[in-house]
Amino acid sequence: MARIRSWWGGLGRRRRVGIIALALVVLIIVGSVLLRAPLPHVELAAEPLFGPITNTMLAALFTIIVVGAVCFAVTRKMRIVPRGLQNIVEALLEMLINFVDDTAGKEYGRKFFPVIATIFVFVIANAWLALIPGFMTIGFWHETEEGARTIWPFLRGANTDINFPLALALVSFIFVEYWGLRSQGFSRYIRKFFSVGGLFRGIGQIFRGKIRSGLGTLFSGFVDFFAGFIEAISELVRILSLTVRLFGNMTAGEILLLMMIFLIPWVVPSVFYGLELFLGFVQALIFAGLTLVFLVIAVTPREEHE
Amino acid sequence: MGDIGINVPGLVAQLVCFFILFGLLTFLLYKPVRRILDERSERIRVSMEQAEQIKETMAKTEEQVKEQLDAARREGQNILAQAGQMGERLREEAREEAKQDAETIITRARTEIQRERDDAIQELRRQFADLAITAAEKVISETLDREKHRRLIEEVLEQAPKGQG
Repeated sequence: MARIRSWWGGLGRRRRVGIIALALVVLIIVGSVLLRAPLPHVELAAEPLFGPITNTMLAALFTIIVVGAVCFAVTRKMRIVPRGLQNIVEALLEMLINFVDDTAGKEYGRKFFPVIATIFVFVIANAWLALIPGFMTIGFWHETEEGARTIWPFLRGANTDINFPLALALVSFIFVEYWGLRSQGFSRYIRKFFSVGGLFRGIGQIFRGKIRSGLGTLFSGFVDFFAGFIEAISELVRILSLTVRLFGNMTAGEILLLMMIFLIPWVVPSVFYGLELFLGFVQALIFAGLTLVFLVIAVTPREEHE
Repeated sequence: MGDIGINVPGLVAQLVCFFILFGLLTFLLYKPVRRILDERSERIRVSMEQAEQIKETMAKTEEQVKEQLDAARREGQNILAQAGQMGERLREEAREEAKQDAETIITRARTEIQRERDDAIQELRRQFADLAITAAEKVISETLDREKHRRLIEEVLEQAPKGQG
């Protein structure tokens, strides 16, 4: 070992780089020739394993167990002077707390934090744990209707099952609406989506004979009503956009990885693994961040224009 | 919706998963970490306050020490001044005493000398009388008795002015 090391150290920098490059090329060729992966069969819906239990449910459960175990290990004996893992987890959580507090303010930050943080942790943990070898690759053989044989994996990242992003989006939507209602009161909050005051005022003015100003009020009332309608639609569309963004990104990333493994089994997919790590973080941040922003918008009182 | 995989059981299952994780994280992560963060910031606040207090106390003590030192210095100077005055007075007294002693001694010496002189004059006078008698005896051998002679000389001497003898 020492001899190898001294030999390695004796080489010039250019030679060392050359040797590494050569080794990588050899690995790529060996992998391509000897260990071909099967062509992935893209299945958007999660594959059921045992009755209604799908592989994505198992993956979600796996994520819960891993995250729970880490948290348990960290917070079992908390020290006032943090050490090791506690330090890391505390620092990360504090970053998240600061992120939420900076956006929503101290008062709401404390209330919003648990949901935002759970969304973030769940998404990022799902994304990163799905990169563990064995996800998507170990499973049952399954005959499709066309007679092709594909693998139904035991574990598949929960983010790639549209039910999971949809569930998160629903939680986010309900949480946002709940806080909007709670902070502004029912009538104030609902007026944002359904404002007919202007219309009625306009009609009233017309009946009282003030046709000209009545028509003007009627028109602006109509605009208000339409804007409220659009507001309501956009609020609902958030569910769709949150769902599809996460689902699309994570599924595409997974398919990309499988395709790269199919094309060039060794070395090259590692680059895409790195990309997927980053993507998982970004998607978690976007989902949690958007939910936070929607919350802040919902609890911020609008200035009324009369 | 079948192709993309949306179904109610899946949705419900994932919702349940979310809430399980939510509860788990709330009790295993958020609450303990919040608690420890709050505790830590509280502790830092308290210790900073304590440090502030200690600093204040130290400043106060330093002030006191300075005051005491000043007082001690003033007292020392007072004592020194007093000692100087006392020394001066003692010296003055000693000088006075010495002067008096010297004067007494001189007076006594003067009296002594005066007495000695008087004695010497007395003696001289007596001896001179004797000498004169003896001489007269020699000259006029025994014309006068001794007692008569003495009286005669005494008379002469008495008549002679005093300070010339």
